[in-house]
Amino acid sequence: MPRIRSFVTQAPSRPIVFLPGVSCLLMARDAETARRKTAAAAPARPPVPQAAGDGSAYPTPASAHDPMSYTYTTDLAAIRAVVHRYAIKAGLSEARAIDLVLAVSEVAANTVRHAKSPGSLQIWYDTKEIVCQIQDEGTITDPLAGRRRPSLEARGGHGLWIVNEVCDQVEMASDQTGTTIRLHMDLPLSSHR
Amino acid sequence: MDLLTVSVTARESAGEAYTLVEIVGEADVTNTDDLRHLLEEEVSQQPRTLIIDLSGLRFMDSSALHALLRVNRSMDRQGGVLALVSPQPAVAKILRLTTADRLIPVFDSVAEAASG
Repeated sequence: MPRIRSFVTQAPSRPIVFLPGVSCLLMARDAETARRKTAAAAPARPPVPQAAGDGSAYPTPASAHDPMSYTYTTDLAAIRAVVHRYAIKAGLSEARAIDLVLAVSEVAANTVRHAKSPGSLQIWYDTKEIVCQIQDEGTITDPLAGRRRPSLEARGGHGLWIVNEVCDQVEMASDQTGTTIRLHMDLPLSSHR
Repeated sequence: MDLLTVSVTARESAGEAYTLVEIVGEADVTNTDDLRHLLEEEVSQQPRTLIIDLSGLRFMDSSALHALLRVNRSMDRQGGVLALVSPQPAVAKILRLTTADRLIPVFDSVAEAASG
């Protein structure tokens, strides 16, 4: 089974990091304009986490403000309400909060579609960004999931593509134990503390 | 309160009959099947114009968008027209992002859609 290992720790420069055996590259996104950055800016590699479905492999960073944790099954409206409230409180604009809500909902919809157990959502923010981390026991086997624009005639596949379009950065790790997806949204400069 | 409520009315504008579907609430993967079945039922009545009023829809995800795209294809195939009305910001965003708003006409009001 293809394994996707593309988790990196947060670096201010948001580099593309190539990990050994990884066929998926991380792309930094600035609003709706994708900007590729060079691999030359990559920092020292973090250890590759074990077991994507195990939350303990992806701890919340120590710098996180006000981390919150939720479990969901099919109550996506509740998750959307939580994310919207949190995003506005953290300083995201209404338009960007709408984007984050859409992204989280699309990822959580995949849990509803494919995973046989509940998913979990962690949210936190720091001085620069708000992060939503979604974990479930589903497996994504396509390392390029969400990287190609699907046709409007396609029967599905818009979800992860939308996620990549609206978020500033998306990290994804998936293996037989599950999937972890981290969505990053930059906070406006005025809300930096 | 239900997450999604849908109401259907038969209307007329300048002697032309049309079907108006109002979708209120939030449309996502958990209620897409219901939404699709209901819309397919209306499409099977072969209206010349099917107008979907989105002004009460607070959220739509990609699975609900697919339901709308399917309805659009069916309407196209049978020589009818699908029109959308007044999407709220979150719904307008997904329509714009996927360019679905270039495929399905979007109007500011039901009256405009009915005469357009």
